[in-house]
Parts: sequence; structure tokens; C-alpha cells
Amino acid sequence: MSTVVRGLEWFFLLYFVGINLGYIALNLLAIPTLQRKIAVRPLENLPPVYSGFEPPVSLLVPAYNEEATIASSVRSLLQLDYAEFEVVVVNDGSKDGTLAALQEAFALEVFPEAHWRRLKTQPVRAIYRSRMYPSLRVVDKENGGKADALNVGINASRYPLFCAMDADSILQRDSLRRVVEPFLDDPRTIASGGTVRIANGCIVSGGHMERVGLPRHPLALVQIVEYLRAFLFGRVGWATINAVLIISGAFGVFRKDAVVEAGGFMANTIGEDMELIVRLHRFMRARNRPYAIHFLPDPICWTEAPESLAILKSQRIRWQRGLAESLHRNIALMGPRGGAPGLVAFPFFLVFECYGPFIEVAGYVFMTLVWIFGAISGTAFASFLGLAISLGFLLSVSALLLEEVSYHLYPRFSQMGILVAAAIFENVGYRQLVTVWRLIGLVRWLRGARSTWGTMTRKGSWQK
Amino acid sequence: MVRASSSDLDIVFAVFVTAAALASAVVLLVSIAGMRAWRRLRHAMIARRLDEWREALYVATEDPQAARLPRISALDLPEFLILFNHFGESLRGEAPGNLARLLRDHGIDKRALALLRRRSLRLRLIAIIAVGHLREEDAWTALAELSRDPGPVTSFAAARAMLRIDPRLALEVLGPSIIAREDWPLARIATIFQELGPALVTPALVNWLLGRPRRGLDRVVKLARFGHRHRISSIVRGWLTGSDRAEIIVAALDYVEEESDLPWVRGAARHEDWHVRMAAARALARVGEHREVAILLELLTDPVWWVRYHAAQALTRLHGLSPNELELLHENARDAYASEMLGHALAEARLR
Repeated sequence: MSTVVRGLEWFFLLYFVGINLGYIALNLLAIPTLQRKIAVRPLENLPPVYSGFEPPVSLLVPAYNEEATIASSVRSLLQLDYAEFEVVVVNDGSKDGTLAALQEAFALEVFPEAHWRRLKTQPVRAIYRSRMYPSLRVVDKENGGKADALNVGINASRYPLFCAMDADSILQRDSLRRVVEPFLDDPRTIASGGTVRIANGCIVSGGHMERVGLPRHPLALVQIVEYLRAFLFGRVGWATINAVLIISGAFGVFRKDAVVEAGGFMANTIGEDMELIVRLHRFMRARNRPYAIHFLPDPICWTEAPESLAILKSQRIRWQRGLAESLHRNIALMGPRGGAPGLVAFPFFLVFECYGPFIEVAGYVFMTLVWIFGAISGTAFASFLGLAISLGFLLSVSALLLEEVSYHLYPRFSQMGILVAAAIFENVGYRQLVTVWRLIGLVRWLRGARSTWGTMTRKGSWQK
Repeated sequence: MVRASSSDLDIVFAVFVTAAALASAVVLLVSIAGMRAWRRLRHAMIARRLDEWREALYVATEDPQAARLPRISALDLPEFLILFNHFGESLRGEAPGNLARLLRDHGIDKRALALLRRRSLRLRLIAIIAVGHLREEDAWTALAELSRDPGPVTSFAAARAMLRIDPRLALEVLGPSIIAREDWPLARIATIFQELGPALVTPALVNWLLGRPRRGLDRVVKLARFGHRHRISSIVRGWLTGSDRAEIIVAALDYVEEESDLPWVRGAARHEDWHVRMAAARALARVGEHREVAILLELLTDPVWWVRYHAAQALTRLHGLSPNELELLHENARDAYASEMLGHALAEARLR
């Protein structure tokens, strides 16, 4: 019995060390990319000049029950700084007055458009054009979910690149220009995304980020550290070896032909953003085609983080289901033919991100039980907790360091103090709670629960 | 020395990892604090100087003699050059020359030259951009060497600086790279060509087009839009008859402006590559007459949306085709796709 306990104890200890070593390796991979990014900043920050050779972009804005905010969101999109783009809003059978709000704000009229039905979707009811803004169109369709709405947007789009985004994403005026840059610099690029940051506590005016700040709510604060970890060394690290498996659905640009050829967004999935990226890897590798999926460390998109436990829980459950679904639908990517994404990123995601919650929760429960029943000493139990928490804290602090050397968005000493406190709180209680929610998400995925539009109650108190 | 028994080896291991992690975290936190303190100090130091430099540069755009530029320390030089580069990017006319004079009078041109040899990519890029704006001929050799760098960032920045210093010579020297280096983004080359203007770029473009390089001709053809259209047109239109490469025919079709080319355009409308068919529809929209209706109706049933779209657009723009005839064509279209596309084009034409 004691051998089994000892064996399991070592297993959990080594698991926690293993997962954190993986993240430290990602951190090390991210450092040269960030260094290079900082080095070329004098070049990138020069005033932009457009030649007409920049690929035009269709911004696809799927909207479901966004009556209150859709008009201001679209207005802010129309002010983006980029050479040529169009905005295609897709009203996914909203039950509220989303369409009416758009009609009123932008003087829409029905247009007999012959759109290209390259992807199979729910029926389109009507396509509207704005009399005020020639670059704005609204597609009204039967409800089919976000992925279906994006596919309709792809069918209706005119340009070779499209940007999939959330209706409530907060952008900077140069966000689109920055995220398209990899398509200019590297002809192999089929997708590009950037860092998503938390908007709570910031000042947003006219839908654009005006001033960066920290929120007062501890739950939002801790998510800032969490996002820094996920984006600054998670995705940047994977991008260094062309193995990014997620580009956030909040703001990502894609080469339309590649996405259409791969079948578009998968309807009836929760994590349609991740599923598409994993499928694109699989699709391109199976055909031996050169391709690149880029991830920019630049903060290009801001989103409101939930400040209520109930909403956060539902969000994390949905994310975990999306992750599990995306990986298992594309399991064929795993293996030597999958290159870095299939050999390294996919197994890492499967073991640590997808099934990790099973092992982590089991580890905490097991160690607590064997301590309660006296199979291990209090010192052994405390040392296990110390190991799990200290490694997590180290990773959070290293994310803060990367932020410090790269973007430095929270410049005051007091802000750094608050973020360090948040990093401690993140590892003592918050992460464990999120792990339990992720486990629930995994169980729901295994039980095959149906996907719907994610509901996120926005407060938007920081919007001017 | 106390030796751990096998039963407490796990504790020793966990404690060791915990201690190492916490010690590393403390080191990182101290580094963050140190960097933050240094950054604040630098920010405080540089903020006032930036105002002085900005003021001096503003004055110098009009009269370099009247500008009072304080001495710039080695530590401040990169920040000063970044500011100068921003001025350089946005100024036209005599102002860039005046600014360059101010910097030369203060010996900053030589200091920027010295920065070109630094290992730091950041410093080198700042210096490359600066010597470009300064039109620093002494930097030519160093820039030519940097333009051959295998990395696109440094090589392209150097090429851009060379094109600022002596555009004619740079187009000659850099021609093979502009044509063939695919890691030099076309959109960025295009901004330079746009800045240089047709008088400077046309001779180089004509030479490259006449040379018809096997690799990179598509890039040259795209850049050709920045040259004088009449000079480019006479070369490119000749390719309509003598090429079987789709991208060449597309380029040629985009320069079609005369009715005499119509027989070739009609042939291109039946080409197997849809890009060629689309370009043919566009060409017919420019030069086609009433008799092209039949071929455009044929293109209106093309399997590719873009070909149908441009065919419908061409019909609405065709000389000699009345609105009533167009409506009639729409009503009588048997193919559902053709009818839908013609309806779309007619609605767009009404908006024009």
C-alpha cells in the first residue's frame, strides 16, 4: 500500500514539475522573439505609408443579441487605420433589436447581392448595404452559431484576407495594420493573431483603447496575470517554432482561400477559433504545403474579463470543452508528420492543457486524503503544495518580467506591486478553482453537451 | 552531513524545487524593480531633452542656422535619432535637407555612421534609417554590404536608405534583389517606389521588364504601376501575343487600352486560368463595345464568382449598351447565377 502511495506521490510531484518545465521552456522560446520585436520597434513605429499593395481585409463581425453595443462597435471599426477594408456584420438570428439598431445607425437598405456560397451555412435572409458607409454591409441570417455566422461572413466577404472578431472586441486604431504585417512580410502566412489584453480598468473611448490601467476587482486583476502568461510566453513561445494552436476568436486575420479550402469554421463547435487553427495545421501538413501561422506579442485587442465567479466559471467550462473538441477532432495532426505542431504542441496541449485538470485535481485530492489518513506526513503534504504553488508563482513572475521588458503597459511601481500580489493570489486558490472548472468542462465534453453562443454579461463601465 | 532516507527523498526533492523556484522568482522581481527604476530615471532625464530636440528640429526645418541643438550624449543619441527619423519620414520639400544640415553641423552624421557598425540590431536599424534621411553618401559602402544581409529586416532597411541617398544608382545596384528577393515585401518596396515617383522608377522598370527575368517577373509587373503608364504599356501589351504564362497575360490585359487588342482579349476570355478570364472581363469593361455582349454573357456563367462579377460589371459599363437592353438581358438570363450577378451589378450601377 505504502509503495502505491509513494509511487503516486512521485507521479504527481513529477507531473507538476514536468508541466512547469514545459512552460519554462516556452518562456525561453519566447525571449528571442520578444527581443527581436523590441529591436525592430524603431522601424515599426515609423509613421505608416500605404502604397495600395497592402492586402485588403474583410472584417467579419458576428453578432448575436448585441442590440446595446453593436452600433458603437461598428462605428469604432470603421475608424481603423488601414489602407483598405470592409466591415461585414453578420446578424446570427438575434432575438433582440440588433438588426434594427444597425439599420437605424447606418441607414441600411436591402441589396440584391450575389454572394459566393463557397461554404455551406444556414440560410441568409437578406444582405444590407449602408447608404452612409460604402464599406459596411450587414448580413441577416438564420441562427446557426458563431462559426456558422463567420462562414456566412466569409461567403459574403470580398477581400483575400478576413479578420474574424468578436463584436465587443476593443481595438487600437493600428490593430489591423499590425496584425496584417506578417502577411506582407511572409508570403507563406495563412493566419495571424495577436495578444489579447484585459480592458477592465482601462479608459476606452469611441470603442478604441485610450489609456491602460488596472482594475480594482481582484478577479479581473488576477486574469491580467493569467493572460500575460498565456499570451506573452505561451503563444509567443509556440509561434517561434510555427506551432501556434490557438488564435483568439476575438481578433485574428486569415487567408480566405486557405480557410475555405480547409472547410471554413466548423459549425456546432464551441472552440471554433482553436479548431480552425489546429485543422489548418493538419490540412497544410497533409498536403506538404509551406505555410506559417504567426502570433504577434503586440497588444492588439482588448476584452472585458468577467468579474463574477458565475460568468468566469461558465467561460472556463466553455473554453475547456472547446479545447478538448478541437484537439480530438484533429487528432491526426499528432505524430511525426505533424512537424512541430504535431510532435510538440499537440501532445503538450493534450496532456497538460486538455487532460491536465484530471491529473491536477486528482493530485490535490489524493495528497489531501493520504495526509488526512496519515499515509504521508504534514511536512510532505506542505512540501507538495509548496512545490505546486512556487513553480506557478515563478511562471507568473516571469510573465511580468516579459511584460516589463517588452510593452511596459503598467508603468507605475504601485501597479507592479498590485500585479505581484495578483500573481500570488493567482497561484493560491484561483488556479486551483479554475482547474476544477476546467475539469467540469472536460466532463461535459465527454458527455457530449451541445454548443451554443457563449453568453458574457459585459459591464463596460470603463467605456466613455 | 544528513543523508535523506528513501522515505523523505520526495520531501527533499519538493523543498529543493520550491526553494529554487522561489529564489528564481525573487531574482526576477528584483530585476523587474531594477529595470523599472532605470526606466523611470531615463524617462525623467529624456523627457525634457526631447522637448529641446523637438524644438530645435522644428526650427531647423525652416532655418538650420537658427536652431539651437544642445550637445547630445552617447547615451541619448539613439533617442535623438529616433526623433529625427520620425521627422524625416513625415517631411517633404526643403525641410529634410535643412534638418540634415543641422545634424551635419553638429557632427551627428559621423556618429550615426559609427552606429552602423554596432552589433545591436536596434542601434543598427536606427542608424540605417538616419543615414538614409541624412542622404549620407559616406554610408554607401556600409549600406551596400548590409543590403546583402541574409535577414530581410536589416537588408531591406539598408536598401531603403540607399534608395534615399542615390535613387538612380540604388535602383541599378539593388535591381536584382528587388526583383528576386521574395523576403523583401512588395508592399514595402511599393511605398518606396511611390515616394520616388514615376520619373525616377520608370527607366529601371523598363529595363527590368525588357529583361523579362525568369524569377520575379510577376513582382516587376506589379511594381510597374508606379512607372509612366505609356512607357510600361507598350512593353507589357506586347506580351499578350507572345506568352503562355498566366500571370504575364493577366499583366498584359491590365494594360489593354486599344480596340486593336480586342482579338487577343477575346481569346483570353476563354483561357483555362480563371485569373486570365477575369482580367479579360476587366479589359472588356475598359475597351469593349456592344459586340462583346455575347462573350460577356458567356463569362457570366463562369464557375468562378469573380469572373462572373467582372463580366457583369463589364456589361454595365459597355459602350453602346442601353439600360433597357441591360434590363432585358437580366430578365432573359436563363442561368440562375448569371441572373443573380447581373441583378447585383445593375443595383451597384444604380448606386454609382
